[in-house]
Amino acid sequence: MKLAWQNIIHDRVRFLCSVLGVSFAVVLMVFQGSLLVGFLQAASRLIDASDFDIWITARGVPAFEFGATLESRVREIAAGVPGVVETGRVSMAFAVYRKPNGKQQIIGLVGADPNIGKRFPVPGLPGLAEVPSPDAVLYDESNRDQIEVTALPAEVEINRHRAIIERQIKGFGSFLGLSYLFTSYRNAARYLGFGPEEAMYILLRVGSGYSVSDVQQSLRRRLPEVDVLTRQEFAHKSRVYWMIKTGAGGAILTGAVLGFLVGLVVVSQTIYANTMENIEEYATLKALGASRTFVARIVITQALICSTVGGILGLLVVVPLVDYARSLISWVYTPWWLPVAMVVPSLLMCSLASIASVRSALTVEPGRVFRA
Amino acid sequence: MPDHFLGVEGVSVSFGKGEARVRALRAVSLLFERGTFSLVMGPSGSGKTTLLSLLGCLLSPDEGTVLVEDVAVNRLREVERTAIRRKKISFVFQAFRLFHSLSAIDNVALGFRLRGGRQSERMVMARDLLNRFGLGAKLHQRPNGLSPGEKQRVAIARALAGNPPVLLADEPTASMDYQAGRNICQILRSQVDEGGKTIVVVSHDPRWREFADRTVVLRDGQVEQEVKNP
Ligand SMILES: Nc1ncnc2c1ncn2[C@@H]1O[C@H](COP(=O)(O)OP(=O)(O)OP(=O)(O)O)[C@@H](O)[C@H]1O
Ligand SMILES: [Mg+2]
Repeated sequence: MKLAWQNIIHDRVRFLCSVLGVSFAVVLMVFQGSLLVGFLQAASRLIDASDFDIWITARGVPAFEFGATLESRVREIAAGVPGVVETGRVSMAFAVYRKPNGKQQIIGLVGADPNIGKRFPVPGLPGLAEVPSPDAVLYDESNRDQIEVTALPAEVEINRHRAIIERQIKGFGSFLGLSYLFTSYRNAARYLGFGPEEAMYILLRVGSGYSVSDVQQSLRRRLPEVDVLTRQEFAHKSRVYWMIKTGAGGAILTGAVLGFLVGLVVVSQTIYANTMENIEEYATLKALGASRTFVARIVITQALICSTVGGILGLLVVVPLVDYARSLISWVYTPWWLPVAMVVPSLLMCSLASIASVRSALTVEPGRVFRA
Repeated sequence: MPDHFLGVEGVSVSFGKGEARVRALRAVSLLFERGTFSLVMGPSGSGKTTLLSLLGCLLSPDEGTVLVEDVAVNRLREVERTAIRRKKISFVFQAFRLFHSLSAIDNVALGFRLRGGRQSERMVMARDLLNRFGLGAKLHQRPNGLSPGEKQRVAIARALAGNPPVLLADEPTASMDYQAGRNICQILRSQVDEGGKTIVVVSHDPRWREFADRTVVLRDGQVEQEVKNP
């Protein structure tokens, strides 16, 4: 084992390069993974924040951002289906926002009934109790620079209607590159010019004792002209839409997949090259009668040290890096399992590469020792 | 009755296939008696290294038998041949083949380690050997910091670690000056005289004749001449 350590200590520069290679791979994998996970999460964040079981959307709506209006009777019919105990409405549409300084911009306006879910950003929720008016408008802190309000409350215009921005909230940054404003359903309907009973999304809560899919089936029978989806189905549909059908999502997905593959290749290449560097010495060891396990142990020890140090260094670098990225791109997100999920295949690749190196080291023909 | 300690009987070795096929050894029989010093000479490509690889259990012949301590090693499996190399045979190479990251003493200690030396004794024995070869002041030098002659003495010390009975050397003095080379010759000769080792040296260097008991000359994969030195 001394040989393994001495090789590392003696060839410090080489070791450093290998460690950097492995940590680069870890950084790449975790960072690209965070982009992907964050993007997916952001793509269905508002759907996930509701706590209703079923979403009714106009036929063919691909994602939350692209809703179309439903007729008023849909809500009445749905409410009459056995098992449906509560209904709620959500709307989402693009609107013209006029800042206090007079500049105008397109924003996404989200309106929701106050019962929609405790995590859903709606004025008048218990968590936001200190907001005085149920018609207040909220924005996410990540959009502060676009919203350009200096003091709260601030008087602005949305689609030429007077509106009051009252609060800054957290955690609902948009990934569309344009800001969202959140307000009550009633308020949003007014700004958007909906008729009194028009809605965009109708949300249904299924009573205990009823199965969501049974209720979904009977809703589908009663309302064949709309889409009836469970919350999870709509969230999934939204994510798939953004991920697959849009260039940005496709780029992020490709980036993550490539990052993952490149990371694995870099890791295995690094470990393998490290072994090949000393292949002549393994041949010597074998000629001198070293057993297979002896040679294998040296190779694996070196690979393990290299990948462990590289992996730890990579994680130490990527955590602050993702934090920094989040200050620029609010939706980047690293769930706790992501580094684990990246480190496990990396370790696997390390082991595979070590096994491959061990094989090469073991199959190296000891007869070559006489060739100068 | 001749001692079948180390030798080959009717061995043939060829490399490559078809047009490119090279017959490195053709039906060669040679015996090396216990406690003798043999020199193998011959022009380049005559099969000297191939012969040494056979004796060192690093290569199996296409035909014929390789004997090490009366055992036909060419019939053994790789694991068993590795064990024979470990216990009975040691090598000295033209290119030294020291472990570049280990100091002189660690290189020799690794030799002991491979031959099962006890951890507590390895360093002491390695130091003793190097002291005997006049390297007492360079114990902790890495190979990089040693002259060719010094490197080869470290390599010989590593080869002798654990006391294997056979030592095979391929051009051990080719990369050093006259005095250093002579020094290596003397060291190996004394291993035969005092240590009872069986040594086979392959070299172009006629100077070795003076130290060897016998000279074998190969040409085109066959024994051309065998002379006992006086
Ligand atoms: N691994 C190999 N693959 C193919 N050909 C080989 C191999 N090893 C040896 N040969 C060929 O076998 C012949 C004998 O080689 P060998 O190395 O035994 O010669 P040698 O007497 O040691 O020569 P030198 O004095 O140049 O070291 C040569 O023609 C050589 O090219
Ligand atoms: Mg040769």
